[in-house]
Amino acid sequence: MIKYQATITEIGPYIAEFIDHNILVLFGDQVPEELAEFSIIHDGKEMVGTLTIGDIVYLGDAEFKVLAVGEKANDNLKNLGHLILKFNGETEPEMPGDVCVEAKPMPPIEPGLVLRIEEAN
Amino acid sequence: MSEKKYKRVKITAGKRGWGGPLIIAPEPGKDLIYSVTGGGIHPLAQHIADLTGGTAFDGFSSKAGFEEIAVAVIDCGGTARVGVYPMKGVLTVEIHALKPSGPLFRFIKEDNFVSGVEIEQVELLDD
Repeated sequence: MIKYQATITEIGPYIAEFIDHNILVLFGDQVPEELAEFSIIHDGKEMVGTLTIGDIVYLGDAEFKVLAVGEKANDNLKNLGHLILKFNGETEPEMPGDVCVEAKPMPPIEPGLVLRIEEAN
Repeated sequence: MSEKKYKRVKITAGKRGWGGPLIIAPEPGKDLIYSVTGGGIHPLAQHIADLTGGTAFDGFSSKAGFEEIAVAVIDCGGTARVGVYPMKGVLTVEIHALKPSGPLFRFIKEDNFVSGVEIEQVELLDD
């Protein structure tokens, strides 16, 4: 089951602040400008299922297993299209908004890249 | 034109929270209680607005300048919003009890940020 799908539409000028720390900050297109500067904006609308450990996050063809889901992460995604992805291999979320995935290199982040979150088979 | 009367509140960190206390003192032209929480105005932002006479404002549905914001109320639980408002010079109240970290940590100070805040942590200073 695909739980969430979105295409990246815009890249904030300061996302390197986070990418350098292996973090991606995503927001839907209703985001205030000051947050958009640090964010990857996407066109995702509907959240079909709750994010859980074991789900797979796809960025284009690259796949990352979800290792931890903070208690606020599902609300953020559902209400704001907001997702904090940390590519750190941690199994405990450091912050309530975190979604931690495998510590693998992320693909180049650019408009048109598709984000997909799927239930593991 | 009658001058609007504002009152100050003091906001302290809640249990396991961090930072503060902050004094929130809305003034003419800078009286927005800026809720950046999603799902409308957060009850804590509304409460601060009610006590101070400030204007509750939903940052996700309208746009405002930073110079108009008396305080930003966030519930992000983490990494982005937690740093952006302190960086922009906006006093920031985080509902979740968390100690700031992340790339924008360098902007977050005890005099511009307080976390773990619930209704009980907001104290009216003026009669």
